[in-house]
Amino acid sequence: MAQIVEFPRRVAGTAANVIAEPLRHWPAHSVDDFGRDPHLIAALSPLARLRWDVGVGGVHHLPVRGGALLVCNDRRWALSNIYTAWALSEATGRPVRFVGRPDIAPIGSFMRRIGGLLARPDEVLGALRNHELVLISCATSSHARHAGEVDHTLMGAAVMAGAPVFPVATMSSSIGRTARAEVGPQVRPRRKRRGPLAEVELAEQVQHHVQRMLDGFGGMQTGVAPLDWLTAEG
Amino acid sequence: MGGELGSLVAAQLEAEPWVGALVGIDVDPPRRRLRTAEFHLLQPSQRERIVDVVTKFNPHVVINLSVWEPDARAGLAHARQFTADATTAVVGAAAECPALESMVVRSGIEVYGRARNTPTRPTERTPLDPTTEYGRMLANIERSAREVGTRVGLAVGKLRLAPVLGKHVPSPLGRLLRQPVVPFSALADAPFAVVQDHDAARAFVEAARLRLDEPVNVVAPGAITAVQAIVRGKRVPLPLVGPEWTIARQFSHLFGAPIPDHVVELMHRGRLADGSTAREVLGFSPQRTTPEVIDQLFAWPSVVRVGAIREVA
Repeated sequence: MAQIVEFPRRVAGTAANVIAEPLRHWPAHSVDDFGRDPHLIAALSPLARLRWDVGVGGVHHLPVRGGALLVCNDRRWALSNIYTAWALSEATGRPVRFVGRPDIAPIGSFMRRIGGLLARPDEVLGALRNHELVLISCATSSHARHAGEVDHTLMGAAVMAGAPVFPVATMSSSIGRTARAEVGPQVRPRRKRRGPLAEVELAEQVQHHVQRMLDGFGGMQTGVAPLDWLTAEG
Repeated sequence: MGGELGSLVAAQLEAEPWVGALVGIDVDPPRRRLRTAEFHLLQPSQRERIVDVVTKFNPHVVINLSVWEPDARAGLAHARQFTADATTAVVGAAAECPALESMVVRSGIEVYGRARNTPTRPTERTPLDPTTEYGRMLANIERSAREVGTRVGLAVGKLRLAPVLGKHVPSPLGRLLRQPVVPFSALADAPFAVVQDHDAARAFVEAARLRLDEPVNVVAPGAITAVQAIVRGKRVPLPLVGPEWTIARQFSHLFGAPIPDHVVELMHRGRLADGSTAREVLGFSPQRTTPEVIDQLFAWPSVVRVGAIREVA
């Protein structure tokens, strides 16, 4: 009789174990204060490496501790903020958060897990005050070697937080894996301003710095001599 | 003073050297042994009695913890009524006390709301935009306290707590996570933060001691998503996409764990806040991180069996 009573419990237990078995291997880690999941990023990194082989330079300019605002150029559809943030995270050993995730599930939620922040000055200010490295993008451009305008409202967050600002020049190919992210020296404002001109002028300065670094990269090298001659500039 | 958080705050206040006399009011008797505190068993609706007790005592500091979270101890309608009554009585009585220097009120990070494009980690400077009934209740408490503070010239500290979890704290979130099968938003799986009851109580004591005069978020460090919490608790996750949440809420209600709208919002949109001001202003940061509090939530026994009492003489 006891076995008859026990039977449904055993069956239910076995069924639950079978259902739950794949979940036992699910990582039960936690996310950080901003919802970034380093374990998910580590799991996705091999996939990202299939698409981008990023060379990183100038990391020594970045502070070892404390917050900083990084500004990179962005070619349309290049996802340069994502690969640059991941590459710099790996190179510095500190999480680098990129700005520009949408706030719509599931894509917004996914991008938050991989380090995305909303493009809002208060969001950037919050991260900088918590000593985080935050990467924002210039306005998107169709040309790989053109730095678009920098949003001065986001730059205002760095001014308010007193965080240093660094230009980052990025270059990637639409077809190849090779990509590059070069961090420049800190951009210091030319003159001290007490009002909103501080961020407007700083934004323009950073844009010029990024543009200068992109010019220093030289033209795109395809490896095919006649094509390289055609695309060569200056 | 009768609820778990109130009892904890009272017990910690008794141990403080700067506290002389202590008087508490609640609908339930205290859950801890209090040595010097005087307790009055009063309903939130007994406004005249509450005003009488408070004005006679004429305190230097008032701590208002009388917040009924929907579906924690009472349903939404009752929670709204009790909270409004208690706020009117306590905050109104505080305004009549000539010796009063400071008032500390309980609020929550639900006051920031989770509308689209709201900051992931709101700070205390983020404008209040509650998107749930509980958030609106808390925003009303803050508004009442602020108005009284301005009129009478009081320091008003507002502690915006993350969802409070503790061994005996009635919490709809805690109850939901401890169910054998736990629904979660498959599309979002948003991160949230919590705080343990002991840490929340400590924040109130520090705020009262320092005569806090600003809002402060009280949030345990770290964050966790619903799936991570469910897997840590060895529960079965039930992924939901949208309309089936209504059915899941009804089922969960039947099984004794109603899911109020602010918990549904937490599951869909997350609930984080920047807790760095607490460190700067109160010199205090919660001891338990969010993952640790969640781990403890699952470690607490559901039923504590006490052995039979035997007469020995």
